[in-house]
Amino acid sequence: MSELRISSIETRGVPGKKRYAMVIDLRRCIGCDACMTACKAEFDVPLGVFRTWVPYKVIGKYPTVRKMFLPRLCNHCDDPPCVRACPVDATYKVDDGGFVLQRYDRCIGCKACMASCPYNARFMLPKHRTYTDITRVVDKCTFCHHRVTQNLVPACVQTCVGRSRIFGDLNDRTSEVSYLVSTLPTQVLRPEEGTKPHVFYIGADRGHTEIGRKIYDPQSVVELERETYLNKHS
Amino acid sequence: MGDWNVFHLMPWSGAYAIYFFLIGISAAMFFFSALSWYRDEFVEVRRSAGYISFVLLAIGGVLLIEDLSQPMRFLNMINPAYLHFTSPLAWGSLCLVSFGLVSVAYLYTLQKGQDAGLGRKLAVFGALLGLGLPIYTGFDLTVHQNRPVWNTPLMPVLFVALSLLSAAAVAVFIAKGEKLRAMLRGIMLWSGGVVAAMLISLLGTTAYGGSASELTFMFMTSGSLGFIFVGLGIVLGTVVPIGVLLTSAGRQQGGMMLAGALLLVGGLALRYSILIGGQIVQTYF
Repeated sequence: MSELRISSIETRGVPGKKRYAMVIDLRRCIGCDACMTACKAEFDVPLGVFRTWVPYKVIGKYPTVRKMFLPRLCNHCDDPPCVRACPVDATYKVDDGGFVLQRYDRCIGCKACMASCPYNARFMLPKHRTYTDITRVVDKCTFCHHRVTQNLVPACVQTCVGRSRIFGDLNDRTSEVSYLVSTLPTQVLRPEEGTKPHVFYIGADRGHTEIGRKIYDPQSVVELERETYLNKHS
Repeated sequence: MGDWNVFHLMPWSGAYAIYFFLIGISAAMFFFSALSWYRDEFVEVRRSAGYISFVLLAIGGVLLIEDLSQPMRFLNMINPAYLHFTSPLAWGSLCLVSFGLVSVAYLYTLQKGQDAGLGRKLAVFGALLGLGLPIYTGFDLTVHQNRPVWNTPLMPVLFVALSLLSAAAVAVFIAKGEKLRAMLRGIMLWSGGVVAAMLISLLGTTAYGGSASELTFMFMTSGSLGFIFVGLGIVLGTVVPIGVLLTSAGRQQGGMMLAGALLLVGGLALRYSILIGGQIVQTYF
């Protein structure tokens, strides 16, 4: 696998180094949002912003329709563009483990990291927070670095009722994530960006996970229903 | 129907476009002032161009710092222990500060009016640092691999050309000599032509890029940015003034001022639409 390494920052297959990753099995996700809630509770994530979020899309045609959930979070890329973009080294990658973390005391709030992230995983913390005094700097998912270093799994993984989220070390061939990634077809988001994400999806359809043409002219539900009605009754 | 997603904000607001606009004019105005040491036509604007450059630099600097969510931490950008040179912003901050310092020294020398040798050296040094400003702002956008329109090697060159174009448009309003006006007309025509050629290339690469690029092209031409990008930026702000400059009226002061005003509108509109255009599609992901 070493031939796939382009940047020296990458930890793919490096002996003795951990490379944490998350596998999200979309066949098991029921959209209960418990992961979002656990994350909010763990980090006092303010209203309006998310470290992890679960968007959905209604796919299929009536009567065979279903909701497709796509849990999202920072992809802790092996070659993260946000680390390159930060002018003051406030964003950095942990050598052993591959966590992409933020130094809050150093962040100037230029938002270059937000501009460089293909996954919209970063957000600006508001001026006022209830329990935490870290404000007006960029924040993101940390893969629960503080928990993982204590041999715990991230809060979202711990709470996932369907065991849709699985976490572990990809460089450890005996780990469950290694097994899943090596035995099942997995997808990553926006692979064309070359970021080498560490969040793998099972059962994701690129036709639904990518930016669709309809964003150019998003029709409201009311308009769509009116159109359907007119088509049906004309 | 029935899609739900978190609402994502654009990281860089329109204020950045104003900053790009001001800093670009500032750099090229300094260049015109520096040119006066080598070309007699520019001598009449040596002082005024230098002062305009400095005032615009100061306003641009305030805008840039004010846009940071932690404005007082702008000092981190010039802290050698923190600087991270893989980011164009780090190079830009050094360039900006050095350019500001050289500008102050240059204006002081001009004010004293005694040491022509030092003034000439500072002018050349400042002009080179000034060239770094539009280049760094262009790279600031280019390096984001996931952004349509931005992620092209054209950006730094386009920003240099836009910088010259906008500054020549400003200089037209303070130029009195016939020879200088003819020179500025030439600069506007040449840099305007280069900008137009690059815009055609930019539209081509955007329209034939991936799905995000194609959608961005749609937003910028027939979508929400269509009026600003095509209407104000390309037609009214580039094609029309070039046309005016090519007519006999374009050789007169009135015609050149009209073209200059339109080029300024176009310069701001182009910077704004390129900045915002690269961010629209991403907000839906």
